[in-house]
Formats: sequence, C-alpha cells, structure tokens
Amino acid sequence: MKRRVKENLIAYAFCAPAYTIFTIFLFIPIVWVVFLSLKDFSIVTFYSAKFVGFRNYLRLAKDQIFLRSIVNTIYFTLLYVPGNTILGLIFALLLNKPFKGRDFFRLALFIPNVIPMVVVSIIWSLIFSSSTTGIANRILISLHLKPIEWLSDYRYALIAVGIVLIWSGFGYRMLIFLAGLQNIPDELYEAAALDGATKWQITFKITLPLLRPTTFFVITTSLINSFQVFTPIYIMTGGGPGYSTTTIVNYLYTKGFSEFQMGYASAISVVLLVIILALTFVQRKIGREDIIF
Amino acid sequence: MKSQNWWLYVVKYLLVISACAFTLLPLIWVVVRSIEPDTGIESYSLIPRSITFENYPAAWNYPTVIDENVTLGTMLFNSLFVAGIVTLVSIFFDSMAGYALARKNFVGKKVLFWLALSTLMIPFYAVAIPMYIITIRFGMYDSLAALIIPFTASGFGVFMFRQSFLSIPADFEQAAKADGANDFYIYWRIMLPMVKPTVATMVVFKVLWSWGQFFWPLLVIQDYSKMPINLGLAMFRGHNITRWGLLCAGMIVATLPILVIFLMCQKWYVEGLSGGLKG
Repeated sequence: MKRRVKENLIAYAFCAPAYTIFTIFLFIPIVWVVFLSLKDFSIVTFYSAKFVGFRNYLRLAKDQIFLRSIVNTIYFTLLYVPGNTILGLIFALLLNKPFKGRDFFRLALFIPNVIPMVVVSIIWSLIFSSSTTGIANRILISLHLKPIEWLSDYRYALIAVGIVLIWSGFGYRMLIFLAGLQNIPDELYEAAALDGATKWQITFKITLPLLRPTTFFVITTSLINSFQVFTPIYIMTGGGPGYSTTTIVNYLYTKGFSEFQMGYASAISVVLLVIILALTFVQRKIGREDIIF
Repeated sequence: MKSQNWWLYVVKYLLVISACAFTLLPLIWVVVRSIEPDTGIESYSLIPRSITFENYPAAWNYPTVIDENVTLGTMLFNSLFVAGIVTLVSIFFDSMAGYALARKNFVGKKVLFWLALSTLMIPFYAVAIPMYIITIRFGMYDSLAALIIPFTASGFGVFMFRQSFLSIPADFEQAAKADGANDFYIYWRIMLPMVKPTVATMVVFKVLWSWGQFFWPLLVIQDYSKMPINLGLAMFRGHNITRWGLLCAGMIVATLPILVIFLMCQKWYVEGLSGGLKG
C-alpha cells in the first residue's frame, strides 16, 4: 500500500513542472477568457471591470468590421488551403521517386518554411512594393501588363498575402505528403505495374486513394492555420486598405492591444476558440486518430 | 511509349525547376541586395553591380538611432538566449512528463495524457489576453522571462516523448531498479539517452518555433534592449526604412543562425515529421 502511494507521488513529481506551466499559461487562461468576455475593461480598469453579460457578443454580431474580418478570413482560407494542399501534393508526387537532384529540389522547395515569418513578410512587401518599384510589377511590365498596387488595392491585397503564404508553406505540406507516401507499400505499385497499369492509372487509382488520410490531415491543419493568420498581414498591409485584409486575429489584436477594449477582444477570442475547436473536432472525429500534428 | 516517357521527364524537370525558381529567387535577391552598395535606387538584378559589406555594419548599428546601447547584436543575443533556454528547459520538462506517462502507473494517468493532448488544440491567440494579464501580474512584462517561462513545456513534446519511451523494452529499467537506482537516475541516465533521436527532433522543432515567434513578443516587449531580433526588424520596418540594402542585411542576420541550425539538423526535422505522422 505504502509502495503504491510512493509510486504515485514519484509519477506526479515527474509530471509537476510541465503541468504547472500548462495550468498557469493554458488551462487557467482558457477558462478565464470566457469570463473576461462577459466584462468591459481595459488593462487600466481591470480591477473595476464592469460585468456586462452577453453584451460584448451582441455587439460583435452587429459589428460590421468583425463580420468583414470573418469574411476576409474565409476568403483567405479559400486561397491558402487549396493552394498549399495542391502544390504540396503535386511536388510530393514529382519528388517521391529517386532521381538526379531530388534531395536538392526537396530542400529548395522547403527552405522558405524555415525563414521567420517576419522576414518573409518584409521580403515580400519589398517585392510587392507600390507602382513600378517592386519586382512583381517589373515582371508584369516586362510582360506588357499593367502594374498592380498589390498591397494597397483592396482587390489584390489579400491575394498578395495568399501568394506569400503559399510560397512559404507549400514545401512543408510537400514533406508531409512525402512522409505519407512512405507508408504506401511498394508491393502495391509492383503488382499494379505487372497488371499493365499506366503511370496515370497508378497515381489516380492507387496513390491518391491511399493518400487520403494524409490529404485530410493536411487540409484540416491548413484550415486551422489559416484561421489564425496574423503576422504577414500585420506587417504587409496592417489590415488595410480600409479593412480589406483585416482577419479575425488582426481584429482581435487591434481591439485588445491597440484600442485596449479587452473585454470585447476576449469575446473575439472566444469566437476564434470555438471555430478552431470545431475544426479540430472534425479532424479528430473523421480523420485518423493516430496523427498528431 | 518511349517518347511519351521522355516527354514526362521534361515536363517534370520544368515544373520542379520553375518551382525552385519561385522559392529561391526572392531569397537570392535579398542576399544580392545586402552585398550591393546601397544607392537608394531600387535594384532588380540577381548579379550585384559591385560588392560591398558596408550594409552589414550599418544594419548592425541601426538600432543605436533609437537606443544608443542597443545594436542588432543585442537583439540577436536575446533571440539566441530565449530560444536556447526555452529549448533546453522544455525538453527537460516534456521528457519528464512523457516518461511518467509512458512508464509509470498512477491514478489520473489517462486524464493527464488527455490534458497534454488538449493543449495542442488550444489556439494561442485565443488565450493571449488572459496570458497578457497573468504576465503583467507576475511582473514579467517587458522582460525576457515573459518570452521564456510560458513556453517551457509543450503538449506536443510530452506526447512525442511519451511515444518514444513507450517503444523501449522494460528490461533496462528493471535491471537498474534491481541495482537500487533511484527513479530520477533511471530517467536521466538510462532512459533519456535511449531516446536521443526524439531529443534531436525536439531541439530542431523548438528552436525553429521559438525563433519565429512574433505575436507574443509584440504584446509583452517594448524596450528595445529586450527585443528578439524578429520583433526588432518589424519595428524598423515600421520606421519606413528606404535603404533596402540595410534592411536586407538585417534580415540576413536574423535568418542565418536559424538556417544554419536547420541545415545541420534537417534529418531530425524530417524524421520528426514522419514520426508525428505515424504516431
């Protein structure tokens, strides 16, 4: 009996440091943010915060800019998720079998993912810089097309950010697809080849169906990421022009940390939390349970 | 049949090479700008007109304009320090918890495991406001501690270490126990060395992650002498620097350390990706 107690205590001692950190910086905040969303306060008025019930949420439902930020986030997702998934898949298929230079090509496509997002955003804001000074426009001009105000025209700004995040992200998806391809046994390909299947048939009838769990995983994690886009927009467009590139997290930042309406921003946090948890739930329920990130 | 294969080969190379041009040319462009004399006129060529290294000291000393005691070196040091401590401590904490979850039998084990997994689902941005308040209350605002302490454990790490400890046969532990070794000794001297590949993988993941942090430092750091280099760069960008050569040199200083670490540890990164996939 005493031995069992000791076993337990030792195990708890091993778990204590990590779980203390989780409790203080994740578990308490996640419960607390729900309570904070029912109050009206800034960091200065924190101790005299007024309880306002669901008023923050009612305000959100009527906040045109917030609704705009959700629409923007969804629009961005429609560029980001298919762009990353399709390019990732295509280049994983192209770079799966050994050939000359394969490892270099894999590295070259992945490298942008290692560059810090701040640096990525600054590089691309130089490339997309206005009128005729940026390279992107130089290329358009040399193709006899009209230059575009990439980052200050509301029609193109979000597309420009989408291009940047596909640049930095599709190599990562490619690596995940390549890992998924490793799990398909070679015998299947050999058997199909013996039966006289063409390359196209093998790809569409064997590889892609067997890659479905990986594809599902890539799509859902990309969805979760795209709903949390912040840094590139903060640096490249600041959410503008107007509110045409303001996403949910950018709006959360503006309300919470530049206007210091922290109760209101907490309500935005809760909405974001619900969206992400719903996406994660779908992922866990439908997808493979043994895939972790 | 033969000619069709030849065609596919050409298309494949064309696709791959143009994708590499897409990913690499912007980076090459930045490197070239950083070693070209900064004339204030934007330059587009991928071959430098002439080579100079004066952009680097200029970028290095640029922060002294705002705070005379701060150079890019101060910020580089902050980033290295934060990434180093976060990585070391969190690997220690994660592996300890992972060890207990894999190897010990205790009340509430399932709940703790489930909690570790649940941390992976919590979006960081959603807890930023309470975390910000907690950080201020703990007196950590505007200090490197604020960038370190909240990140000294991760559910992802706990999970990865649990998985790899599970795969080690029980014999080693039992032999050590029979010799009267205590629990910490067994974990530290016997079990942890056996999961070195996981340690290596976690080092790459954590360093990359910590280095790339931006949102949190933006919230809790104001003093230039405490800024990680990425936040510093974003601030200078905000000053509307028109000297692209200087800016590009600064970006290279902020990227080079992490790029070198990644290139040295690529293998572990890729292994970690497929490890996470197999579960």
